[in-house]
Amino acid sequence: MDYQNPKIPEGINVTDEHPLKGFLYLLAAVAGTIAIIVLVISLSIGELAKLVPFETEVSLAEKIKANVSDDAIENLNASEQARHQQVQAYLQNLADKLSRAHQLPEEIKITVHYLDEPVINAFATLGGHIFIYQGLIDVLDSENALAMVVAHEIAHVKYRHPIVALSRGASIGLILSMLTGVGDGGSIASQMSLLTSLAFSRSQETESDIDAYNALISYYGHAQGATDLFNVLKKSNHILSPPELLSSHPLSEKRIEKLNELDKGAYAHCSKNSMGCQLTPLPDFLGVN
Amino acid sequence: MYDLIIIFILLVLGYVFGQAAEKRHFRSIIKREEQYRDLLTFSKRFPLDADYDQKASLVGGSVVISVDYFKRFAAGLRNLIGGRVTTYESLLERARREALLRMKEEARQQGMNTIVNVKLETSSITKGRRNQVGAVEVYAYGTGLVSNIDQ
Repeated sequence: MDYQNPKIPEGINVTDEHPLKGFLYLLAAVAGTIAIIVLVISLSIGELAKLVPFETEVSLAEKIKANVSDDAIENLNASEQARHQQVQAYLQNLADKLSRAHQLPEEIKITVHYLDEPVINAFATLGGHIFIYQGLIDVLDSENALAMVVAHEIAHVKYRHPIVALSRGASIGLILSMLTGVGDGGSIASQMSLLTSLAFSRSQETESDIDAYNALISYYGHAQGATDLFNVLKKSNHILSPPELLSSHPLSEKRIEKLNELDKGAYAHCSKNSMGCQLTPLPDFLGVN
Repeated sequence: MYDLIIIFILLVLGYVFGQAAEKRHFRSIIKREEQYRDLLTFSKRFPLDADYDQKASLVGGSVVISVDYFKRFAAGLRNLIGGRVTTYESLLERARREALLRMKEEARQQGMNTIVNVKLETSSITKGRRNQVGAVEVYAYGTGLVSNIDQ
């Protein structure tokens, strides 16, 4: 019998396909699936997070609280301290009145923190804490405009936007770190502080705008000054780059348009010389800086 | 973010060097297989019905090949979806053929021209250890004989 080792043809056990082709296909399939999972979870978390009791949110805020305002006060001299407390009390008083105008649920308490820094910003965070910077107050002309900002932030708290944003960010970070092995799932919580600005979506901003607008009407009887902040921001965009938090907000022009749509009915009785639609001036001590 | 950059660099390194090594290895395997084609190998347990010298010896060849980062990453993605793990298929193919070649080389050095009862053993060097680029060992062995038949 004649035996021989045949030459074995290539390409049976090993495919000729370019390795990158298969790799890219895999990568696209997996990345696409992850994107869908993240999307579904972030959408459902948005609804689920609203079910978290406000007390839980407060105790969570308590745990990660950065004692910003307390530290700031200690370094001031007596007169500055007095002013700081005066402003804080004024803002808190304004927030309390607006909370009633908002018909805030019983269990939700708003705590205002005043930060004497030249930053044009204000934000709401976990546990009903609202931070307002002197820089923002400086660019506003009336109490009505300031009230619009405060009412907007109260609306965020009312609709539980901070806890939604936190849950969304935390769960997406957790999923990504679980799936890819990149990063450490526990690090999100440890990096959190009350001053971490939570990114709200545009629809959340619009929701808050409309609610703040309505609160303003029920508090002052009119909505004069509601769009002042946006006008200021629109102008200052040329000089200042928009603050990080504000840049995630809907564009100022669109927000004004949106509010003007609402205005059509409300402004009707509010012609320029009407006595009922006067702007309330800001108290003197706010303008010291 | 830095994690992603590091992963990307590792992927590029793994792909460039891994693919270059694989191409070179396949070329070398095909060339040497041609050189050893006259050395008959059988999986049959007993010698063929032919005239053999009373000289028999264990011959074997073993090879260890490491997985590169690109292959491991692609296989990891494959784990999620399923299907042919082509990056590992070519790795094992290289390992098997290289082990057989080394076995034949040993047989030729001992003056053998036939190997019977050829078997292959495969083992994973880094089995059970997570987060480590694995390596595969293939060992080919058989009984070398000297046949007196002219080929």
